[in-house]
Amino acid sequence: MAAPSLSSTINSLSTLSLPTSSRFSLPPNRLPILSKSNHHHHHHPTLSHSSPIPKCKPSDDIDTSFFDSVNPNDDIAFNPPEPPEGFVAPPSFDDGPLEAEDEIATAYEELYGPAYSGVSLLGNDVFVMDSKLKKDTGFGSGAKKEKLRDGFEERVVQVRRVTKVVKGGKQLRFRAVVVVGDKKGQVGVGVGKAKEVIAAVQKSAVNARRNIIKVPMTKYSTFPHRSDGDYGAAKVMLRPASPGTGVIAGGSVRIVLEMAGVENALGKQLGSNNALNNARATVVAVQKMKQFREVAEERGIPMEELWK
Amino acid sequence: MTKRYWNIILEEMMGAGVHFGHGTRKWNPKMSPYISAKRKGIHIINLIRTARFLSEACDLVFDAASGGKQFLIVGTKKKAADSVARAAIRARCHYVNKKWLGGMLTNWYTTETRLQKFRDLRRQQKTGRLHFFPKRDAAILKRQLAHLETYLGGIKYMTGLPDIVIIVDQQEEYTALRECITLEIPTICIIDTNCDPDLADISIPANDDAIASIRLILNKLVFAICEGRSSYIRNS
Repeated sequence: MAAPSLSSTINSLSTLSLPTSSRFSLPPNRLPILSKSNHHHHHHPTLSHSSPIPKCKPSDDIDTSFFDSVNPNDDIAFNPPEPPEGFVAPPSFDDGPLEAEDEIATAYEELYGPAYSGVSLLGNDVFVMDSKLKKDTGFGSGAKKEKLRDGFEERVVQVRRVTKVVKGGKQLRFRAVVVVGDKKGQVGVGVGKAKEVIAAVQKSAVNARRNIIKVPMTKYSTFPHRSDGDYGAAKVMLRPASPGTGVIAGGSVRIVLEMAGVENALGKQLGSNNALNNARATVVAVQKMKQFREVAEERGIPMEELWK
Repeated sequence: MTKRYWNIILEEMMGAGVHFGHGTRKWNPKMSPYISAKRKGIHIINLIRTARFLSEACDLVFDAASGGKQFLIVGTKKKAADSVARAAIRARCHYVNKKWLGGMLTNWYTTETRLQKFRDLRRQQKTGRLHFFPKRDAAILKRQLAHLETYLGGIKYMTGLPDIVIIVDQQEEYTALRECITLEIPTICIIDTNCDPDLADISIPANDDAIASIRLILNKLVFAICEGRSSYIRNS
């Protein structure tokens, strides 16, 4: 059976020996902070996909203000500017002679470099894309790269063994729930499943980095006001506290708040006690919060009115 | 944004049939501001709005191209595939004219693996190494190369994610549009009467069925890209 090997892998990760039940809920403090997953183009040999999506932020050059602000129900006039002197309509792309393949290849190569075309007519290196991708991590250095990259700390909330029953038997996989945060107001919750615990933790860390939210905090490291959030059957209530209180919350709620950098808060899990759903519910609750300054701006009243 | 003259003539557009929409029953009510009339069971698109949107889109494309941005043209309809390829080659842009593989942009990491394989196969073909393989292996590699050429041939010069994506038919390329939305890439779409104008960032209400209409719109956009590129080359 797979049970002995599983417990040994878990034991290798934590100093505490765990009961071999089918649900491994590892207490958070015992696990070491595992290595951060890769960023952009670094390449781990163990994982098939590990780079987060490089998101294109809406760049400043592309100015879509006309299209954002146009109201289609208004009367939109079409007043083209005058054609310049001697304007000759350009030929359609279908007319005109077909360019030779070499000319096309040279033109593209001038613009983009040889990229993935396999041929280079201008004398550039054909394998130029390789240097941008691979960063081989040898076995020794891979294990040592436990440093935290780009400022985010990871904490594993829960690792569970889940099964899929097929004709041949049971297929076991591990599902890891990880909370990622810098202690300055940014947190993310992620899930990942894989056949090995470490791989699952890495996948979930990648997933967590994709869904990061910002926690509004006051200068005493607490929330601006109470809020509830729910996700599924999990309901979480968060309440600010005076400095010196610490984080008084259970399980995954505490981990999320700690990784966000909130130092004084009260939280309660009403409803289900599922770790993943509670983590997601805290995220929902935190997203509902607004700073006093924002509300004052939105409503157009000075902040003193809000405290009445 | 500088307003330039893009040679958009309303009579030309009517001649190409840009104003014909789809059948009345298949419309999307969100398109009602852009529909001017209903004739013989087909919606007629308001060409003045189309012309205005098209000129604004051309301005935007011109500015982006003069900033050195990368474009991607997506059009997989059988009718339009050929013209999309020619237009993109003319404008020196990337294009997808056969099936849009799911995750081409969101799973760019994996697409890059395929592109690398494509490049290696091309290299082997050019250096003639395929003759050293036994016949069966060589045939398998040639077939793989042919497959990769059809699907990834247009994006073989793409080093990263594009900056602007031009989509020809929104219904057909719904997956591509969704990918661009998750990645927050601005999109230019040709919207017909059965499409949703809110999904794309820049929507041009026009006919997406007739080849002439697609050609016309692509012509204008390609012209804008070429102009932008030449000004970029002149400035840098």
